[in-house]
Amino acid sequence: MITICVASGKGGAGKTSIAAALAAMARPTCVFADCDVDAANGAIALGAATTAREPYFAGPGFMINSEICTGCGLCEASCRFAAIRSEGDPPRFMIVSELCERCGACYERCPIKAVVTYEKTAGELFVSTTRLGIAIVHAELVPGEDTSGKLVRKVRERAQAIAGEHATIIVDAPPGIGCPVIASISGCDLIIVVVEASASGIRDAERLAKLIVSMGRRTIAIINKAGLNPDMDARARDMLKAMGIPLAGEMPFHPSLRSAEESGETWMTVDSVARHSVASALRAIQGLIDSIGDGSRVAAIEEEKP
Amino acid sequence: MSSSRPATIAVASGKGGTGKTTVAAHLALASSRSAKTLLVDLDVEAPDALGYFPSAARVGPPKEVMIAVPQLLKDRCTGCGLCAKSCRFGAILSIGGVVTIDERICKGCGSCVAACPAAALAEAEIFVGVVSVFENGDLRLLEGRTAIGDIRATAVVEAAKRRARELDCEVLIRDCPPGVACPATHAIEGSDYVILVAEPTDFSLHDLGAAVVLVQGQSIPVGVVVNKDGFGKANVAGFCARHGLPIVGRIAFLRSRAESGADARLWEDDAEIMGEMEMILERALNEVRKRMEA
Repeated sequence: MITICVASGKGGAGKTSIAAALAAMARPTCVFADCDVDAANGAIALGAATTAREPYFAGPGFMINSEICTGCGLCEASCRFAAIRSEGDPPRFMIVSELCERCGACYERCPIKAVVTYEKTAGELFVSTTRLGIAIVHAELVPGEDTSGKLVRKVRERAQAIAGEHATIIVDAPPGIGCPVIASISGCDLIIVVVEASASGIRDAERLAKLIVSMGRRTIAIINKAGLNPDMDARARDMLKAMGIPLAGEMPFHPSLRSAEESGETWMTVDSVARHSVASALRAIQGLIDSIGDGSRVAAIEEEKP
Repeated sequence: MSSSRPATIAVASGKGGTGKTTVAAHLALASSRSAKTLLVDLDVEAPDALGYFPSAARVGPPKEVMIAVPQLLKDRCTGCGLCAKSCRFGAILSIGGVVTIDERICKGCGSCVAACPAAALAEAEIFVGVVSVFENGDLRLLEGRTAIGDIRATAVVEAAKRRARELDCEVLIRDCPPGVACPATHAIEGSDYVILVAEPTDFSLHDLGAAVVLVQGQSIPVGVVVNKDGFGKANVAGFCARHGLPIVGRIAFLRSRAESGADARLWEDDAEIMGEMEMILERALNEVRKRMEA
């Protein structure tokens, strides 16, 4: 089993489109794990039909029972996240759920158990089949819920359970470099960094690259939306060179790629001048995947033969 | 508008790369021509707003964002394990009376320190990010930035929000992170109006739906700006009509705009865009005024 993660730092750099094209290339022995659990678009890109779903519970939330709260204020004093506020005189305390980190400090501190827990569904996990014939594991986090990193791990675990021994798992990471991105990258055999050829795209990809280097993961890059601004293309190449990350290829900014998606195609089968660049970048990545996969192990053993 | 409480407009989207930072930077620029304006970059994992203002000058030293994490005093620890039991983040392990603390996933809530009966946990501050202030002509900018590899983005978002409250301004524009999880929730919290930037793609509409749920869950009025209008075929207007969302502005897709936008160049001489920004701003401020009066 080989796990490949597509990440970018910046949002909208082309992660999902590139991950979908890779899946189209790697099928049939491939499982797609959409780890952008709060903005999941893999199922749209691959045309998914859900076959199984299960609820996701993140752990308890906290609220204050105003019927029994005496207004002592110990909860507010115990909260380090300024998530407890009071109104009126005598004060009535309440938890601002948007700011609550669910640490339970107020719950432990309240002398009369006026802070109570509640369970609620924090999201849903899906297994679906796609137009490509491969399976996709995806999830929808309930907007405003936290613990997206934990849901990412669940998506990856489910993808591993489905994937066979010789399968490739393609992980579509969320934007940013935080908790769900680290959960997406951890343990992957190869990280594909998508660098959008823009000032923001290069800066964010560089922060991501530093994270990946600190995690000791093997990395290769694709420059996306190339050709819009030659200065940016050059700066993207320079950044990758300075970071010591090899470049698989450059995908052009071309309307045909957008149109391909609108007609339910991946970039693998796009019919335009963009095709050559896309195919050549994806072939370079496939070559790398083959070299770290079973192929290289078999080749190494073959070489040992007298 | 009162100087003690600025009108706070958050720019968010759900999907990344739809143009949040572009819209936030141009709104801030338009606003700074008539009002004391602060642009706050709360996309702390990937902060890019400052990139639109290359001649911005730093005001004062960057402020480190620190959180207090527990340190084990081994000679006092009895190995009772109550600290591990109190931690809801799995940051403390107690196995056979041996306690280990993973400060990378500790949120600094202090529950373990309160739970320890032997006063065997001291606290030490660790660095999770920085908050910096800049000036660009009449516009002030504030940026939160996480340390690479740190997962406590919300601590940096909240530190940036606190710092913003210390700065005097009439209009505050927040550039929010993508998604609808905790960093976005914290970035939107406390704002008076939210602008959701959408592009005409199926991906964007799907994520816009989630962002609407997030914002409406916080009972904040919302308007949609259609960016890259004409770039794709997805029907943003139809989506907005079905969800009762007003479209408050449009930016047409032009290849020339994509070219200069790639370099984060401001379109300050583009009368069409700056006119659109003024209209969006006026509409947003009207909504804020109505809300403050209510």
